[in-house]
Amino acid sequence: MEEDSDLIDVRRVLAGDLGGFEGIVRRWQAPLINLAYRFVRDRERAEDMAQEAFLRIFQQLARFRGDSAFSTWMFSVALNVYRSALRRRAIPAVPLDAIAELVGRSAPQLALEDAEREELVRRAVAGLPPRYRDALTVFYFKEMDLAETARILKVPEGTAKALLHRGRKLLHRTLGGLVSSTPATREAHA
Amino acid sequence: MNPEDLDRILASEQPLAPSSGFVASVMERALERASAPPLPFPWRRFLFGLLVSLALGGICGWIAVRLPLMDALAGAVGAALAAFADPRLSPALAEAAAALAGTYLVVRLTLGLSGR
Repeated sequence: MEEDSDLIDVRRVLAGDLGGFEGIVRRWQAPLINLAYRFVRDRERAEDMAQEAFLRIFQQLARFRGDSAFSTWMFSVALNVYRSALRRRAIPAVPLDAIAELVGRSAPQLALEDAEREELVRRAVAGLPPRYRDALTVFYFKEMDLAETARILKVPEGTAKALLHRGRKLLHRTLGGLVSSTPATREAHA
Repeated sequence: MNPEDLDRILASEQPLAPSSGFVASVMERALERASAPPLPFPWRRFLFGLLVSLALGGICGWIAVRLPLMDALAGAVGAALAAFADPRLSPALAEAAAALAGTYLVVRLTLGLSGR
């Protein structure tokens, strides 16, 4: 249904009716802003990046051939915009002392600081080398759908799986004692 | 924290609601781009570049004709080919090629292990 609406709006824009693009922006503003937020952990910057992504999508709309779902194509374009933005200004890496401090806390303290711990884990993902960061971010954003992640990243599924595996290993290394057990293998079953 | 916790943390994130003016702001900028006239072709720069290229091409051609450059070039290439064909040089060349390949493999391995 959503895909149908997208295709109708794409045709409208290509026929010169800009109103069709408003429909696309309304439908996809939240997902694009939320994906950007996962990369930068800053609301204002996420909205700026999503706006740039929509403008790029608008400019490249004629290149959409319908080989994939519109949303897949749109997320691929947005991902390229986000990568460029992150190359210009990367987010700061997670400070190791923040991890050490959380690891040193007792269980009740940790329970109280769950939100802080979770934010630290998410920031650690955002601070990974770009290809692992992109793979993990898109994978979890797409509710662990490996096939869709691979299509958005424009890599074969096997490559996406390898990137996820290595990304998780790096994440464990970065987070040290905060993540105690071995990397999950969920993507291996995906 | 176990792997399931990690999945839970990374998969569940409180969704952000877009600002109220987001759509209007995007549409305003899209409209600007749509109504902006296309960039004119830079004819002046193109003609200037064309003239410079033709002048440089002419000078090079004149030099090549006036000087025995082609003969000298052919001689140099011939000498280099003869040197490579020299059987005394072959082991050294093979050694250099093996060293280069080895260096490349070590660099790739190091980058692979460091996760880059």
